[in-house]
Amino acid sequence: MNATGQVTDNAVMARVASGEVAKMAVLFERHHRALYRYFISMNRNRELSEDLVQDVFFRMLRYRASYDANQSFTAWMYQIARNANVDQAQKRKAEVVGIDEFDDRRAEPASAAPGPEEIAAKGQNIALLKRALERLPDDKREILVLSRFNDLKYEEIAAMLGCETGTVKVRVFRAMRALERVYFALQKEKSA
Amino acid sequence: MTSPMSCDDAKGLFAEYWSGSLGEREEIAFEAHIAQCEACRRDADQLGALWRNLELIPAEEPGPGVRARFYDSLAAFRQGMESAPKRSLRDRLMALWPAQPAWQMAISFALLVIGVGAGYELRPGAAKIAPDGQESSQIAQLRGEIGNMRQMVALSLLQQQSAGERLRGVSYAYQVPASDTQMLSALLATVNTDPNVNVRLAAVDALRAFGSSPVMRTAVIQSIRKQDQPMVQIELIDLLVDLHETDARPELEKIAADGQINEAVREHAKVAMEKLR
Repeated sequence: MNATGQVTDNAVMARVASGEVAKMAVLFERHHRALYRYFISMNRNRELSEDLVQDVFFRMLRYRASYDANQSFTAWMYQIARNANVDQAQKRKAEVVGIDEFDDRRAEPASAAPGPEEIAAKGQNIALLKRALERLPDDKREILVLSRFNDLKYEEIAAMLGCETGTVKVRVFRAMRALERVYFALQKEKSA
Repeated sequence: MTSPMSCDDAKGLFAEYWSGSLGEREEIAFEAHIAQCEACRRDADQLGALWRNLELIPAEEPGPGVRARFYDSLAAFRQGMESAPKRSLRDRLMALWPAQPAWQMAISFALLVIGVGAGYELRPGAAKIAPDGQESSQIAQLRGEIGNMRQMVALSLLQQQSAGERLRGVSYAYQVPASDTQMLSALLATVNTDPNVNVRLAAVDALRAFGSSPVMRTAVIQSIRKQDQPMVQIELIDLLVDLHETDARPELEKIAADGQINEAVREHAKVAMEKLR
């Protein structure tokens, strides 16, 4: 059990692996949103991301016997997600959703009742940051998405990528530097 | 005294510094470094602001169809598994064998006593099977004793301090006849009060054997809202669906409308209501 009194993911997956496949519903409820966010950040395609979420859970059911309860479930799941993403990318011709169209369909970020000008400026900055993130090379975007959005521990990312934890931390730093460069370049482009 | 931190050393600590998750000693060393290194101080501040702003990018949500598709696929997968060949008898027997040597010895001894007793009763000259095919009263008595022993083992295991032992007790419950009301009461008490979620989940599974009991069905309906764990609630709802318990609908309706209950459980209750139409 974890600190919040929930049965840990590892324990639930161990039960799925032992044949109680209905327990996969618990893992689905806990992780499908985060997985979706990972995919949509990587491929920019809603429909495909939803398909990939299904694919990950199906693969986990299918390969449940290969799960090792002593290793992090999250790292295992994202390893499967990564493979599913790579397989899919090889198969398809990228169907990218236009950035502006994509932004229009989003909810506004929550804020503590700022004025209209502040909302506009903040919204622009966030939209710009989001665009900068989208322009990063896949490997840099992926490490930021996993560490910042999906709350994976550095140890889990290291297990997933097959490298040292220290290497992951340095790669996060480099990805942030790259993000800053793209962000300021976009800001310059916009004000020119 | 430790040597001062280099810029290369600092690179590995930025992400944790921005997240506020550095250990105290590392944080002191890192702050000492950025106090005297302008380039790293700039990275700590400016990249830190970007790092915080990343959180303001709103999370994309999947469409509502994702959940329905998942539950359909899961149901199909389960159906596929059920129609596949079952585990061998040997595997099933092995799964019932306790892991603790003390229980292994106790059961071995009990089986030995039963074996000797049965051999004695069945020896030439002892009471024979009645010609009309009915079992002799001795054999029936022996069966009754074995049943009692299983019940006793299961009930006593369910009282153990260790969750592992209680889980084993639940697995013994499968060996007890579905008409055993004492066992049913013990399982229901486990579902409602056991502190361990895994034991509660296992007990819900074991209740399936008592599916024909109206007492069990009513108790399961009443148990859902007593539970504090969504996983157990979902399992109880699934049990009622599998038993086609249409009397559960009013309670499921209340659960689906109860804002205090976990969202996934409410969704599950709605799906269950549809299935029980």
